[in-house]
Amino acid sequence: MKKRALRFHWSMSSVGEKWRGAKSRAAQNGIPDLEAHVDFCRRAEACGIDSVLTAFGFHRADPIVLASALGMLTAKIKFMVAIRSGICSPTALVQQVNTVSALTNGRICLNVVGGHTPNEQRGYGDFLSHDDRYARTDEFLTVCRAFWEGDGPVNFKGNYYHIENGRLNTPFVAADRTGPEIFLGGSSPQAFGLAARHADCLWTLPRRPEELATRITAVLESGTEVGILVSIITRPSRKEALSAAQSMLAEVGDRARKTQQDFSRVSDSVAFTSTLALAEESSSDWLTPWLWTAAVPYLGAPAIALVGSYDEVTKGILEFTKAGVTQFLFLGWPDVPEMIAFNEEVRPRVLAQYDAGSDISQGTLLNDEAELKRS
Amino acid sequence: MNLKFHWRLLQGGEIRGVTTRATGASQRATGLPDPKHQIEFCRQAEASGITGLLTDIGASKPDPLLLAAGLGLATECIEFIVAYRSGLTLPTTFVQQLNTLSALVNGRVSLNIVAGHSPVEQHYYGDYLAHHERYARTEEFLAICHAFWENTGPVNFNGKYYRIEGGKLNTPFISPHRSFPELFIAGGSDEARSVAISQGTLWMRLADTPENLRSSVPPVLAAEKEVGLRMSIIARPTREEAVRAAHELLAGLDPSMRDRENEARFMIKSDSVSINATYALAEKEWLNPWLWTGAVRTHGAPAISIVGSFEEVANALIDYAELGVTQFILSGWPKLEEMILFGREVLPRVRKLESRLHLTQNA
Repeated sequence: MKKRALRFHWSMSSVGEKWRGAKSRAAQNGIPDLEAHVDFCRRAEACGIDSVLTAFGFHRADPIVLASALGMLTAKIKFMVAIRSGICSPTALVQQVNTVSALTNGRICLNVVGGHTPNEQRGYGDFLSHDDRYARTDEFLTVCRAFWEGDGPVNFKGNYYHIENGRLNTPFVAADRTGPEIFLGGSSPQAFGLAARHADCLWTLPRRPEELATRITAVLESGTEVGILVSIITRPSRKEALSAAQSMLAEVGDRARKTQQDFSRVSDSVAFTSTLALAEESSSDWLTPWLWTAAVPYLGAPAIALVGSYDEVTKGILEFTKAGVTQFLFLGWPDVPEMIAFNEEVRPRVLAQYDAGSDISQGTLLNDEAELKRS
Repeated sequence: MNLKFHWRLLQGGEIRGVTTRATGASQRATGLPDPKHQIEFCRQAEASGITGLLTDIGASKPDPLLLAAGLGLATECIEFIVAYRSGLTLPTTFVQQLNTLSALVNGRVSLNIVAGHSPVEQHYYGDYLAHHERYARTEEFLAICHAFWENTGPVNFNGKYYRIEGGKLNTPFISPHRSFPELFIAGGSDEARSVAISQGTLWMRLADTPENLRSSVPPVLAAEKEVGLRMSIIARPTREEAVRAAHELLAGLDPSMRDRENEARFMIKSDSVSINATYALAEKEWLNPWLWTGAVRTHGAPAISIVGSFEEVANALIDYAELGVTQFILSGWPKLEEMILFGREVLPRVRKLESRLHLTQNA
């Protein structure tokens, strides 16, 4: 099969926060620092990042408002705006997304999330359970896509939404698309099914590459790409990377650990809680020689990290590509130096080897026993 | 308090001046933001002494809150009066979006809450409530918004339309002057006025003659809320020129009368009390020597206009001020030029008359 191009995105969630995830959500500052965000976006543009993730949560500024403002002050970067069903009419969401596309010439894509904390959902007036939320999201995306893909009035009658002759004058404006690219996050079977039906790409959390390959087979066969949300700690040598990782843990300390335990108790996200359990229960901090879970109990599920020298992190990324992963959403502590190191040192290595490699069928992995022993 | 004058923001596709519902809403251009001309319009409004620009809401327009965010980043001091209605977004989400906008533009945002005027359009969004229920829902919506803005702890609410449990947001409303936005409640019905009194800061209604407004204003003022008028202005050096400009506005329309038919078709589908009432007023072309309804049946209800010389228009505005009206959202044609003329010729005259008015009131 023909290989897809690899694409790299970066999370913008930690702008203004040194240790993303170390503080409880309630303690975070929700006032956006415009200058810091613009600076981050411009650095991401310079580093060839495809899009920046603007996350959703009660403790944050609204992601789509932030994206429309930042879009006016930037030129190339795309905004991956997190959205949830259950907080607005799908028609209203399409109108907002299309408005941003018109203001930014199509520089918006969506990260559809199911929600992860019933307490938080109730603060928005949403009382559905985990599985019902996915059923509603299914309807929500069906309506949205009818606006983007159809060319007549939208009619829909489901369990959650009833739209009659829906029409909007604001189209999705982009050079090459009639609707936004849709990413969908999750690790539950419902999320995988929904991604296969509606999304261009599934975001999921890393596992051992061979395990991930098995889990994502059905999604890939549906034609939906798979991407992973993973942190990155890369330095010239493995020793320096390990020492950076250790000093980070020492700095964030036990309060962060309690924050994550508290969060896990109230979350019903399969992706977040299962990753935390994996990190807490596993006997080693290393899933592979470069995939490190020790920060997860402190900084949350997205802190599962590729750690090592530039060559090692390159290998780690390539292993995921062999499992069928073609997109990456990175985080770093702090983000910008990590983004620069990725751009200058890791990306060229990854692309050279990915392009040189033979076409790979999904799920075949070359396990390097020697590398595994070294850990 | 000084009178405040706002203008309706130029919409996409309107740069050639006149756009009626017929020539406007059917065009895709109204659905597209036009940052170049809109930013120019914002800057001109700033230079003309205009306080805020109304960003319309509707299925034929871009999302007003996001348009305001985009334009707000390109301007310095103009405020955005974001039109919004309940039934599109849950209140927590809405407050989060609005507060985020306030933080990005340093509080240059207020709200014009409408209840919706077209059941057909509400259905596009999945909203099936009847007129009086929409006001009841708007009342709950705003009560929840206020609870977030008061910021005294988690928000709990259990009403007929909304249920919120332990609602929290980390992004407050940011402004040098206020802890929540000015809330204009738009609508001519008793329901609208009572929501303005209970939840708003100002009752915004379509203009009528000062005589006809005389009885409806005092209860709002007694509740320590403001009253505002939505209307249009056609001001020229002389009355003759103004009347000619008004008539030319109609003469320039499609001779097939498509505009009139389209507006009539729109009216049949509308359940808005005030839009219907203004349409009915337009039976008579002049409601008094300066209040003209000639464009209402082609350009929509907000086209009820003060027509006259600069002096006459300024005096008419002061007539409203004497009733207790304190803010106006205006339109005019051509859209940019009328605003410039207003800022240059009418506004200084209003300010002069206004200072005399204050003197007599304080005497």
